[in-house]
Amino acid sequence: MTLRRLFAFSSLVFLIVLAFSPVKNALRPYRALQRQFRLLGISRATSAKAREMYSSRPIAIEQIWLPELNDHVDRCTTCHLGVADAAMTGAPQPFRTHPPTFHTPQDIQRFGCTACHGGEGLATDQADAHGTSPDATTPIFPTDFVEAGCGRCHDADAVRDAPTLSSGRALMAKSNCFACHKARGHEDFRADAPPLDTLPMKTGAEWLRRWLTDPKAVDANATMPNFQLTGDDIKALSHYLFGRTVPPQLQHAIDLAGAEPPGDSARGKTLFAESRCISCHTVDGKGNGSAPELGKIASRASRGWLVAFVRDPHAFYPQTRMPRYSFTDADVRDIVAWFEDELRDFDAPANILVPLRVNQTFAEKGEKLFKSAGCFACHGGMKEGERFGPDLYGIGEKKATSLDFGKRTDLKRTLPAWLEAKISTPRSFATGLKMPTFAFDAAQKRAIVTALLAIPSTPVPDAYHSAPPQQAAIVPAGAVGEIMSRYRCLSCHQIGSRGGDISTAPLTFEGSKVNRDWLVRYLAVPYSIRPIIAERMPVLKVSKEEAALLADAIAMIYVDPSTPDDPFAGRPASDRDTAEGERLYTTFGCRSCHIIGKNGGYYGPPLTETHARLKPGWVFRFLQNPQRWRADVRCPNYGMTDTDALRLTAYLETLAEAPAPPVPGAGKEAVK
Amino acid sequence: MRRRILLIAVILLLFASSCRRANRPASAAAVPPPTQYELQLGKQVYQSYCIGCHGDSGAGDGFNAFSLDPHPRDLGDPVFQKGKSNADLADAIRRGGAGVGLTSLMPPWGHTLDDRHIDAVVLYIRSLRR
Repeated sequence: MTLRRLFAFSSLVFLIVLAFSPVKNALRPYRALQRQFRLLGISRATSAKAREMYSSRPIAIEQIWLPELNDHVDRCTTCHLGVADAAMTGAPQPFRTHPPTFHTPQDIQRFGCTACHGGEGLATDQADAHGTSPDATTPIFPTDFVEAGCGRCHDADAVRDAPTLSSGRALMAKSNCFACHKARGHEDFRADAPPLDTLPMKTGAEWLRRWLTDPKAVDANATMPNFQLTGDDIKALSHYLFGRTVPPQLQHAIDLAGAEPPGDSARGKTLFAESRCISCHTVDGKGNGSAPELGKIASRASRGWLVAFVRDPHAFYPQTRMPRYSFTDADVRDIVAWFEDELRDFDAPANILVPLRVNQTFAEKGEKLFKSAGCFACHGGMKEGERFGPDLYGIGEKKATSLDFGKRTDLKRTLPAWLEAKISTPRSFATGLKMPTFAFDAAQKRAIVTALLAIPSTPVPDAYHSAPPQQAAIVPAGAVGEIMSRYRCLSCHQIGSRGGDISTAPLTFEGSKVNRDWLVRYLAVPYSIRPIIAERMPVLKVSKEEAALLADAIAMIYVDPSTPDDPFAGRPASDRDTAEGERLYTTFGCRSCHIIGKNGGYYGPPLTETHARLKPGWVFRFLQNPQRWRADVRCPNYGMTDTDALRLTAYLETLAEAPAPPVPGAGKEAVK
Repeated sequence: MRRRILLIAVILLLFASSCRRANRPASAAAVPPPTQYELQLGKQVYQSYCIGCHGDSGAGDGFNAFSLDPHPRDLGDPVFQKGKSNADLADAIRRGGAGVGLTSLMPPWGHTLDDRHIDAVVLYIRSLRR
């Protein structure tokens, strides 16, 4: 009897336990949400059919399975029921329609949710799915850093529609992060900080002391971070740096230049302005800012050093982006004379450029410090396998619980908060840390944290990996290559996927764009094609022979095969109707940005010289699609018909200024 | 017995009312504020394509504005902002001034910008309201 009772009782317990599971399931929050969504859908439905669709919606887990993305399963749509439902625009969360992006709504089935947003796709409970606990493996990216998700698949430095990520990646490269830290895709990174071997003849101990104390305070364009060196450290480093041997030829050049008679400061001022040095440098903050500030240059470097450097920067600093201008010896003397008159620190002590008398004991200490503080990572001498910073592989997927917060008890225990503190005040975590302090503002920090969160521990499968298309960058060898290297064309211009971004004119298809004779004249005396752009082509003092050689090479090499020589070939005569072209010029409102004669705006290049400058085939292709060669061209695409584009081309080709003087080498056959 | 029935009834009533509250659909009228990402994208588009004429603050005082007659629209003007719906603004951007019966000096951007870029820049223009 007792046994039977016991059996009855245990059966009852068993039944209750068994019943617990379905009851628990019935009470799960997503079911209530789905019922809520059903009512919301019915209330928002505009047709009986839609109403029926919402009311017949089963209450069940929804999921997106991505077999090609490591068998990934996302159940986010179990609660986020309206992500792809246009009727849910503006609905309360979690039902709201996903805002439109490059991949949504059309690609939701291809990517799911967590591939971009992070989070735990399998979970159907909000806290687990969003990963709000500190030991969550993949917490969701906070909205501030939402573009980190783009970077998981997109490797390019500049990712379209991801401005924060792109600027973060650019900043990391510019700040030389990869000089110390290993990161996938940046294994070959070499910082291009200047070599320091001519320093003893360049500057003085006082200037170096100020620089090492805080580079940014000396030069706002400085990329060197603040190493928070103590007075003793600075002393030791100074003795080491001033004790280095200056290479004999450079020493000779600096000595000779220093002994030259003073130049003509007024002429130097004019030369400096027309050479457009501020297309890269700044003077009192005015200019591009990608090269050092020159406002106090004469209190930063000695006269002899400046003269010798400007004459041949490549001998001092082989990886510099600065061109070797074809200045005469007097030109450089005059420019430096102007530096000495005007561009100096008038508050600086008299000894700012006095070199240090080297004490060998301090110098030896300094040499050790140069190594241990990591100076050599940027200033040359770094060998493979010597990168001493922690690897950045997988930094974006580090668990918050695995991070060392050290002394920082004030921080939120999350990865983004940790990263932001690391790049703001890296040495606040513990004593003895090496990472220097960069002066990033809030937006820059957000951008860099976004770029860091985008670094996964394992790369996404190939099917999801999106590498930027690489465009061939042909840089010829021989005499032309030497000219291009001398004037450092690639510092500002893009050729294929290589080159700088200071110029808005890539050279990739320059040969199909401009007339050879115009280019010869332009290279000899460049002028401003778009006057509103502050970064203008410098007057490099290119010789006529060099200009002709370069123009011939450009006409031959940098050619777009899809651009016709004669766009009118095989077209009816009415396509050459210039009167109709002129009417189109007015109808399209081209004059809001372009000048013809005396009328028009200053945004685009003046068109008065179209005939002399541009080839008709290029004008025609440009009018058809201005973004054809460069995506960020501002000229709108008018969706012109071929006939309209041809007529407008014909009209623009009639525009010409007074005939230009003959050009040396004009009409010469291109070098075969 | 009656007390027990009363108790059950009260519990049931409470349960029903709580269900009602949970299931009541929220008001559909409210337009959500733009996400930070949309605003940033819109700002990027604005600063690339619009700033030259309409200016940094949208006041119609870009560096290219002085040569234009009629003058570029003051986008920050509250009266203008109130008078135009998002769809109106997007339409004018897409088809240009000539497309909506105004000056052709405002070009059409429909072939250059995607719809979502245009929508994003409309949201950004809304944020320029003074």
